Amino acid sequence: MTPDPGAAETMSDISSNALSDDVIAVQRGPTPTRSKAVYRAFGATLRSLRTTLARTLEKPTTIQYPEQKTPVYPRFRGRHKLHRFEESGLEKCVGCSLCVAACPAECIRVVAAENTPEHQVSAGERYAAVYEINMSRCIFCGYCELACPFDAITMGNDYELSDYTRSDLIFTKEMLLAEPIERTPLRREGE
Amino acid sequence: MPRPEQNFISFEIDGREVRAPEGMSLVDAAKNGDVEIPVFCYEPKLGQAVGACRMCLVEIEGSPQLEIACKTPVEDGMVVVTTSDSVKQAQNAIVEFLLINHPLDCPVCDKGGECPLQDITFGWGPGRSRFIEPKRHFEKPLELSPLIAIDRERCILCYRCVRFSGEVAEDYQLVFLERADSTYVGTHQGHPYVAPFSGNIIDLCPVGALTSNAYRFRARPWDVENGGSVCTLCPSQCNVTFTVRDDAKVLRVFARDNAKVDDGWLCDRGRFGFQAVHAPERITRPMLREGGALHEVSWERALSEAAGGLERAGAGTAALVGGETTNEEGFLLQRLMREGLGSPHLDSRPGGALDPEQARALGRPELAAMVPDIDYADAVVVVDTDLQDESPILDLRVRKAIRRFAVKVVLVGGRPGALDPPADAIVRTTPDGGEAALGALAAALAEVEPVSVPPSDRRVPRDPAQTPTGGLDERQHGEPERQGESAGRERVDDLARRAGTSAEAVRNAAAALRAAGPTVVLWGERLSDGPRGRQGVAALLALARALEIPETEGSGLIEIPSGTNARGLREAGCLPGLGPGLLDAPQAGRPAAEIAAGLGEDLSALVLLNADPLRTHPDRAGWKRALEATTFVVAFADFESETVAEHADVVFPAESYAEREGTVTHADGRLQRVRQSIAHPGEVRPVWSVLAELGARLGAPADPPFLTSPMVTRAITEAVPFLAGLTLEELSGKGKRWQERDAAEAAPEAPSLPQADELEEPPEPVAPSNGDLRLGTTRSLWAGRETEHAPILRFLAPHQRVELSPQDGRALGVESGDEVEVSRNGSSVRGIAALRDALPPRSVYLIEGTAQDSATELLDGESTTVTVRRVEAE
Ligand code: SF4
Ligand code: SF4
Ligand code: SF4
Ligand code: SF4
Ligand code: FES
Repeated sequence: MTPDPGAAETMSDISSNALSDDVIAVQRGPTPTRSKAVYRAFGATLRSLRTTLARTLEKPTTIQYPEQKTPVYPRFRGRHKLHRFEESGLEKCVGCSLCVAACPAECIRVVAAENTPEHQVSAGERYAAVYEINMSRCIFCGYCELACPFDAITMGNDYELSDYTRSDLIFTKEMLLAEPIERTPLRREGE
Repeated sequence: MPRPEQNFISFEIDGREVRAPEGMSLVDAAKNGDVEIPVFCYEPKLGQAVGACRMCLVEIEGSPQLEIACKTPVEDGMVVVTTSDSVKQAQNAIVEFLLINHPLDCPVCDKGGECPLQDITFGWGPGRSRFIEPKRHFEKPLELSPLIAIDRERCILCYRCVRFSGEVAEDYQLVFLERADSTYVGTHQGHPYVAPFSGNIIDLCPVGALTSNAYRFRARPWDVENGGSVCTLCPSQCNVTFTVRDDAKVLRVFARDNAKVDDGWLCDRGRFGFQAVHAPERITRPMLREGGALHEVSWERALSEAAGGLERAGAGTAALVGGETTNEEGFLLQRLMREGLGSPHLDSRPGGALDPEQARALGRPELAAMVPDIDYADAVVVVDTDLQDESPILDLRVRKAIRRFAVKVVLVGGRPGALDPPADAIVRTTPDGGEAALGALAAALAEVEPVSVPPSDRRVPRDPAQTPTGGLDERQHGEPERQGESAGRERVDDLARRAGTSAEAVRNAAAALRAAGPTVVLWGERLSDGPRGRQGVAALLALARALEIPETEGSGLIEIPSGTNARGLREAGCLPGLGPGLLDAPQAGRPAAEIAAGLGEDLSALVLLNADPLRTHPDRAGWKRALEATTFVVAFADFESETVAEHADVVFPAESYAEREGTVTHADGRLQRVRQSIAHPGEVRPVWSVLAELGARLGAPADPPFLTSPMVTRAITEAVPFLAGLTLEELSGKGKRWQERDAAEAAPEAPSLPQADELEEPPEPVAPSNGDLRLGTTRSLWAGRETEHAPILRFLAPHQRVELSPQDGRALGVESGDEVEVSRNGSSVRGIAALRDALPPRSVYLIEGTAQDSATELLDGESTTVTVRRVEAE
C-alpha cells in the first residue's frame, strides 16, 4: 500500500492548524520523572494496603447466606399469609375472590364453598375451599392485601420461595395458613 | 292486538335532541341519547312499570316535582334533565335509603360483581353513609325452594319477583308479607316456591336476595366466561348463556334475551338441567359389549366394530333419531343410511308416520307463524298439547298475549291444562278426539248460523312480495264457501259427538275464532300420531283453511313437537319417506313402529342416535321384543338407560348440549346455532365427526371430507333448496327464520289444503266397556333425563300420576293419593291417583317418559281403553 500523499498533507494540515475548535486537548499532568513514577506505583499500593489492613479489624459486611439472612423492613412485601381469628380459629377468608379481581398477575385462584354447621371453616356464609397463589407469577405488588375486605390475606416478609419445580410454587391454602418454613428475620428498630 | 305502529317523536334530554318511538318509557328512550337513568324495579319484560323504587327520578320541564322516568312515556317536545342538582340529590337520597337496611355483605353475596345495587351505589350514590344505627335483621340463609336461596335482608322490595310470579308465570305463589321495614318476600304459609319458571326470579332480582342454589358460591363474574348457545332440552329452544369456569365446567345457565324466541325467560329444566352435563354417571368413553357386558374400549376399536356390524347388516339397518339431534347429525345419519348402507329406514318421530305431502304442506312458509305472532294475533288455538309441560316458554308467551294484548285463547284437547283458567273457550274431547274436534271446528267456522259474527276485518292479506305462495295459490281468496246450512249443522253436531264434546262448545270456540283476525294455531305432535295421524293433520289443515291462515298476515301454525329439533330433522331428511329439503326420498322407508316390527325379521341392525325407544316410544313391550331380536345395536347415548345397558352392542358417548356444535331449527322455522361452550369431557368426540367417519368407512365418503361442523352445515344448505346460501354468520346471535330468506321460494310445493267437508269421517270414540277408561297420555316437564341426572332437580322427578275424573274415582273407589294399577293386555303400570275436577269422565291420563311405570308401557299406537284398579295397601 503506497502512502497517500494527500493524507500526509492533511495530517500536517491539522498539526499546523494547531487545535481547531472542535478538538479538545487532553490535559495531561507533567510527564513524571523516574522517582515520582516509583513513588506513584508503591504509594498507591501502600494506600490500598492501609485500607485493607484497616478493614481486617472490622466485622464482615457480606452476609453468609443461607446461614445468615438479611433482615427486612416490616413493610417488605414477601410471601403471603392467610390468617385465622385468634379466639375461634376460624379462617378470616370468606372466599369472596376480591383478591382475584385485584391481582394484576392473575395468579390467585379461589373456589368458594358454603359453610355448614357441621363444617364451619370461616366466619361468614362461605369460605374458600380452594385458595391458591402461583408464586412464580406473583409480582408482590400487594394489591391482594389491599383488596381483601377482611384482612384475611396479608403480605408476609419471607422471600425465600425458590423451589425445584414450578408446580411446587403454587401455594395452597394450607401452606398459606401455616407458618412459613423458612423464616426471614425482621429488621429491628433502629437497625 | 294489532302490531303497534311506531311513531317517532323527538324530545330533549340533557340538552340533546333525541328521537324515540312515541309512548316509549323515558328510561328506554333516554338510551337513544346515551343517557343512562338508573333503575331497580323497571323491567319491560314484566309489563307495566310500577314505580316501586323511585331510583329513576328525573326533572321534566313543566312539572313541579321530579318524575319517575320508568312510568313516564316520552312525548314530543318533552325536555328532560337528569343531571341537575335536584335530580342528583334525589338519587343520592334514594341510594342512601336503600342502603339503610342493606347488610352490605358483598364479599359473601353471590351477586357481588354483577350487582345493580353495587353499580348504582357506585355511580349515583352519595359515597358515604350517615347511618350508624343497627340494621334490620332476618334469619339467613334460607331456602325459598330447593333451587333458590333467599336472603331477606338484602331485598330492596322492588316487586320484580312478586310481579313475575303473579303477572308473568301466573303461579301467584310469591307475595310480600308483613308491613313497612319488616316486609319480606315469601310464599303463603312458607311453602317452597316450586313452579316451572321459578328460576327466572334469580335473574330478575337486582340484588343478591334471590340466588341460585346451583350456582351458590361457585364463582365470581371475573372467574368465568359466558358463552351463548341454545337450550336443546325442549322444543322451545330458548337462547341461553352458559357460564363456564376453567373452560371445562358449566356453572350456570341464564337467559340470553331473544324476543323472537323466548322473551328472555327460561324454564327451570333449562336453567338447572345443565348439571346433568357433569353427572359422574355420564358415558364419556366408547363401549363395546363383550361377553354380555359393556366394556370401555378405544375409539378405533369401537369405530371398526360399529362399521363392521353395520356393513354386515347393510340395507337391513334401521335408525331412530332422537329429538335433541342437531341438523348436522341428522343429515349425516340419513346420508350414512341412504347412501352408505342403502337403507331408507330411519325415523325421527316416535309416534307415527307423517304423510310426505302433509309434511310439505306443514312446511309451507305461508302456513308458518313465528313466535311473536302470538302476541299480535287476535286468537290463539292450542290443540292437543299442554304448553307448560311440552313447550313451557310458549305457555308464558300465550299468557302474556292474553294478559297484555287481550288475545282470545281457544283450547282443544282432552286433558285440562295450565292454560284452562285464562282460556276463552275450551273444547274438551276424548283423549283421541283431536281430529274430530278440529273437523267440527272447521265445519262450524263455515256455518252461517247460529254464528252471526262477520269475519274480522283484521285479516289483512299477506304481502305477496314477502310471502312466497306456492302450490296454495289455486285456492280462492276471500269469502269462504258457505255450505248447505242444515247439512253443515248436522255435521258439526256429529263431529262434536265423535270428539266426545258438545256441539255448543265447538260453536262457542268457532264464534271466538270467527270474530278474530290473525290466528295462531299451536298444535301438539300427538295429533299426528298413531294410525289416524294422517286424518288428524288433514283436519288441522282444514282448520287452517277455514281460518284463512295462508292468506292472512300474522296467522299460522306452530307445531309443538315431542323432540326439540323435530322440524330441523324433518327438513334435514330424517323421516322415512323424505330426504333433505322435504323432497321425496328415492326409496320410502318404514316409520318407527314398523321398524320395531321388522327388527329380527328383515332388519337386523339398529342405530340409535340420541334415541331411547324403551323410554320415549309407544309400545314398550314391542320395542323390548324388537331390541332383543336385533343382532346389532349401535347407540349414541349420554347415560346408561335400559336400552343402552341391556341392548346396545357398541356405545358411542353422546355430546351434551354444552359441547355440541351445529344448528337446530325451531318449530317456527328459525335456525339457531348451538355452540360449543366447554371442552369435551373424557374421550367424548363430536358426534358429527363420528357419523362422518362411519360414513367414510361405509361407502358414503364426502368429497371433500367433512372436517368441521360448518362443512356439514354447508352440505345441508346445498342439499336443501330452501336453505340455499345460508351461512352461519346469518344465524349468529338470534338465528334466522328460513321463511324470511329469499331462498324460501324454493320450499317444495304442496297440494291445496283440504276443505272441512272433504275430511274423512272420524271413527266413533272407543266405547269403554265394564268400567274401563279411555287412555290418554301427557308429558311432564320433569319427566326426562335431566331431572334424573342433575342433582338439584332430582327432587322433581315425577312418579307416575294417574289422573281420573272424580266420578270415575268414586265408581272405582279411588281417592287422590291412592296407589292404583292401570293395566291393559297384560301390561300394567302403577301410579298415584289424582282426581281432577275438570277432567271429563271415562278418561284417564298418564305421563309418558317417567323413569318407571311410563305410560308408553300401555300404548301401542291405537286408541285404547285401560282398566284402573286400586292397589290395596298390604
Ligand atoms: S401480590 Fe400482587 S401479584 Fe401477587 S398475588 Fe397479590 S395481587 Fe397478585
Ligand atoms: S383473601 Fe380476602 S379478598 Fe381474597 S377471597 Fe379471601 S376474603 Fe376475599
Ligand atoms: S346485593 Fe349487591 S350490594 Fe347487597 S350485599 Fe349483595 S353484592 Fe353487595
Ligand atoms: S327479592 Fe329481589 S326481586 Fe324480589 S322484591 Fe326483593 S329485591 Fe326485588
Ligand atoms: S325504576 Fe322507576 S321507580 Fe323503580
